[in-house]
Amino acid sequence: MRAARAVFARTLEALGVTLAMATLVFFALRLLPGDPARLLLGDQASAEQVAQLRAELGLDAPLLLQYTRFLRGLFTLDLGRSLRHPAASAASLVARAVVPTSELAAASVALATVLGVAFAVLAAGPFLGTRRAWVERAMIAIASTPLLSFAPIVTYALAVRLRVAPLPGDPDAGLAGLAFAAGLLALPLAAHVARVGRAALEDVARAQFLAAARARGASRARTWIVHALPASLGPILAVVASQLGALLGGAVVLERLFERPGLGTLILEAYAARDLPVLEAAIVAAGALFVVVQAIAAALHATIDPRVRA
Amino acid sequence: MRIARAAPVAIVITACALVAPFRDPDRLDPALSFCAPSAAHPFGCGEAGVDLLALVAHAVLRGAILAIVVAMVGLAIGAPLGASAALVRGRFERATDRACDLVQAFPSFLLALAVLSAVRAPSRVHLAFVFALTAWAPFARLALAQTRVLRSASFIEAARALGVRGAPLAFRHVLPNAMPVLAVQLGSTAGAIVVSEAALSFVGLGPRGGVSLGSALEQGVSCMLFAPHVMATAALAIVATSASVIAAGRAIE
Repeated sequence: MRAARAVFARTLEALGVTLAMATLVFFALRLLPGDPARLLLGDQASAEQVAQLRAELGLDAPLLLQYTRFLRGLFTLDLGRSLRHPAASAASLVARAVVPTSELAAASVALATVLGVAFAVLAAGPFLGTRRAWVERAMIAIASTPLLSFAPIVTYALAVRLRVAPLPGDPDAGLAGLAFAAGLLALPLAAHVARVGRAALEDVARAQFLAAARARGASRARTWIVHALPASLGPILAVVASQLGALLGGAVVLERLFERPGLGTLILEAYAARDLPVLEAAIVAAGALFVVVQAIAAALHATIDPRVRA
Repeated sequence: MRIARAAPVAIVITACALVAPFRDPDRLDPALSFCAPSAAHPFGCGEAGVDLLALVAHAVLRGAILAIVVAMVGLAIGAPLGASAALVRGRFERATDRACDLVQAFPSFLLALAVLSAVRAPSRVHLAFVFALTAWAPFARLALAQTRVLRSASFIEAARALGVRGAPLAFRHVLPNAMPVLAVQLGSTAGAIVVSEAALSFVGLGPRGGVSLGSALEQGVSCMLFAPHVMATAALAIVATSASVIAAGRAIE
């Protein structure tokens, strides 16, 4: 019963955030100075052309009616046609773009969790002896270097000099391209996971149940991996959830860097072409995706760690 | 006084401020396009022969000023909000806490797009406004946490007993004690904004005119194959600027 109420509250909040995001985009485009139709057509357009486009976009209706139409469009997933590709609906363009971005994000979250947990175990466990400090230093260095700076440099080193990774913009990059981009995107997240994971593991290391497991004759690796790790998954999940926003921003930068198709590329193209229906749909979709994934992370966190269910 | 102590730490920014007046990023010399570093052009030249040292120096200065101003605005809004939330307690405190959670986790890129979609060519003022929308949250959260510790301290109880309430309590008694932590946060928020500004202009949402770290990086990436020094200069300038601003925050502490 309590769990159901928590899920309900979460869902309500997620809906609220998505709606707030959509409303912000809607009103930013309509209330701030600068007529979208005028922006779209440029300064040389005649008044009739502007009026015609305004009618086409529904911008001539009263604001409240436009807003109701917009909300109805959100729920029926019908946000109009793309202005740049009149044959495609905004929703279908977004649906097509969501796939590569989700692949990229999912691959890098998976990679970052594995790498981060491995580093956390190495940094907190007794496996490396005094060399643990090096792991710690490397994690701090990675976490504090912005992706924006190291991604182009690593790409240059691996793709242009060593030729082990596909070049940016290579349409045949396929899986290798995805793996390379996901690896870059995973690094900062992995460093965050490792730092939090190490702290959590060191906390757990002092717990009595570990000493009990050791006393029962479990090996050192077994105590760490089977007994200590599950107990520190909660904070790790929490840090992944808190970094999802940064991950989305990083995905946009990498899509631009590697000229990969995706939500970020779609948003930037729609922005550059003032393709308003697509821009609105894509921003709302990205926001909704973020909120949903975060809600899932929170629900998982509560399932794993009974202390979070309050 | 304390700001003066931070200046030598922010060595990159100081160096840029010394160089910038003598070099003009708008002077182009097409004959020198993408030329390698030389004595006359220590960092080499970029597209259309722009002197990279001039470009980077001006871009670093503009980026750093934007970041510091926005971080100060964030401090001015967030710190009193967090402190008063912790002093008032109850529903207001919980709501502030949750709002900080939401704002800090939300993808700032999406927020920036939602706001910037309304302007044709975003200027630095627009970018500053977008960053200020979220910059208050870390300060509010820190002030909240610090005040929770401080509010039961005996000197706060003494001040309360003497009848100090509301704003004077927050500004004169609570916040000065939270300042060291907030100063460090000032640096790291400004450092993060330097990177965000570069990221936004890298993907094409920056100020027109091209004098920004992100558009320098974008230029470097597009000529990566034959002139890698452009990309290296821009990428290193971004790290150096953000590290420099963060170090300055530590020094003020």
